[in-house]
Amino acid sequence: MLRHLFKLIWNKKGTHSLLIIEVWAAFMVLFGVLTLIVFNLRNYLQPIGFQYEQVWNLELSSNQDTTELAPKLQRALQRVRAYPEVITASRMSSNTPFSANQIGNSVTYNKVNVGGDFYYTDTELAKVLDLPLKKGRWYAESDLAGKFIPIVINQAMEDKLFQNESGLNKVIKRDDKTMYKVVGIVDRFKAKGQFMSDTPGLFQILEKNDRWNSNILIKTKPGTDAHFEARLVKDIAMLLPGWGVEVGYLKDSRKNRENLTLVPVLIFLIVSGFLLTNVALGLFGVLNLNIAKRKGEIGLRRAMGATESKVTGQFLGEIWVLATFSLIIGLIFAVQFPLMNVFDLDKEIYIIAILAAVAVIYIIVTICAWFPSKQAATIHPAVALHEE
Amino acid sequence: MIKLQNVEKVYRTSSIETLALNNINIDVKKGEFVSIMGPSGCGKSTLLNIIGLLDAPSKGQIEIDGSPVERYTDKHLAELRNRKLGFIFQSFHLINDLSVIDNVEIPLLYRNTSAKQRRELAQAALEKVGLSNRMKHFPKQLSGGQKQRVAIARAIVGNPEIILADEPTGNLDSAMGNEILGILQKLNSDGATIVMVTHDEAMAKKTDRLIRLFDGTQVS
Repeated sequence: MLRHLFKLIWNKKGTHSLLIIEVWAAFMVLFGVLTLIVFNLRNYLQPIGFQYEQVWNLELSSNQDTTELAPKLQRALQRVRAYPEVITASRMSSNTPFSANQIGNSVTYNKVNVGGDFYYTDTELAKVLDLPLKKGRWYAESDLAGKFIPIVINQAMEDKLFQNESGLNKVIKRDDKTMYKVVGIVDRFKAKGQFMSDTPGLFQILEKNDRWNSNILIKTKPGTDAHFEARLVKDIAMLLPGWGVEVGYLKDSRKNRENLTLVPVLIFLIVSGFLLTNVALGLFGVLNLNIAKRKGEIGLRRAMGATESKVTGQFLGEIWVLATFSLIIGLIFAVQFPLMNVFDLDKEIYIIAILAAVAVIYIIVTICAWFPSKQAATIHPAVALHEE
Repeated sequence: MIKLQNVEKVYRTSSIETLALNNINIDVKKGEFVSIMGPSGCGKSTLLNIIGLLDAPSKGQIEIDGSPVERYTDKHLAELRNRKLGFIFQSFHLINDLSVIDNVEIPLLYRNTSAKQRRELAQAALEKVGLSNRMKHFPKQLSGGQKQRVAIARAIVGNPEIILADEPTGNLDSAMGNEILGILQKLNSDGATIVMVTHDEAMAKKTDRLIRLFDGTQVS
């Protein structure tokens, strides 16, 4: 029977070509959207790697002030740490968690070059963000006395840079003048939020006289409220006259950041939803028309021994065969993505998206074909034969 | 072989009730070639549809091969149509998107027959009707007579005991009609029981028995 259906559809390929293209286009759009969804969902299911609930971001900007910035920043940090509401605080570069800022660079080890996010922080960041170390330790100020700049890397960086070796205590190079020593390895640090993929990252110690990195992450005690925030802003503004002082909560930044990821996905979903609805309605219409035009054939098949269920099965089978033609063409395009490693995504993401898109297409065509096929089966054979 | 007792067929709509067949009693013996004649609208095709289990009577009983079929399920009826009956229609009812041989194979699709066996049986049926050289052609490439021969091949491919022909020569010229009748007579002489609806008195006279209908009633 399957062979018969393939033959029937193949012989009518000219008539069905637009339908085949329509299903193919729906598959391609669905594949794209599902890749995006699978990519984000996989990221979402991976832990973020740090705690942010009680963490505030104090953003300082020196504005017109250009004198003694480093000591002023150190004083501000000491002041913040002195509050009883504060558990600890750490200076950090502008690419604080969930911010839109990014600092990227690459490092080399044994001719393997890996790009990643660079975070400039002091010795307290691990405590502020409860960032657990898998290996080694967080850098200390005493490390600055060493020959190499101490850094902590994440697991993704270790995996890519050192592959099967351990990265601990290894010396890596940023450029001819800058050499790092890995003193610790953390598991994950998804600074851009839950939907960020676990990309290579590196934490570098801030020098004492650093004047550029003016964010302070503050871990507050539970229950610390806006009264403290107001006091903090007022005190720091008095300590650093003329400076801009702004406080943000990391949990709010996280929500904003995740919305930025979710909105495009939602837009794509809505657009593809419309497209799929159009395809479904188109298919439904075409099948209804097709069945109306093929009443004689239905009557003939019933006369030749087809049961009602066989007639339903035939029309469902035809649409599956048609969808299979479309999907074969679609798969030729879709498999290029994992094969050619497009967008540097895991092959698994593409494979899941392909399988899900194939399943959705089959489900849609089945739903669309079910009603007309059932209708076809209930046409009385004598009536069907008479109507041609 | 085919027995109809007190068969009545009424078509009902919300406002009209039409009596299409009234008190029909027919007994067709195995190996008989029976023709049904009558003016247009007298119920010939309705009767053939009832004999062919494509339609159910409003009243009365039908027996095929001694078994009453009223309580048969859709599956049983389909199986009976597939195994015992072969249909030939005035308008051929060939599927234009399938080749001649694929059209002939259709009844065998509803049996457990292998693809190879289907092909062999279809080829043999086409040889019987003299169309073995047109197997790969499509219906649109054939003349009316050739189309009807394909339809006959399709009707006999499953080796049914009964062939039901609804005006098989109605769309053909007389020469072609005689040719088709010749094939049917040959099938009858080979053992098939044939019931043929026709308008053509001359054709009907060449069959073993004639049943006449008028206004839904059997007159002879």
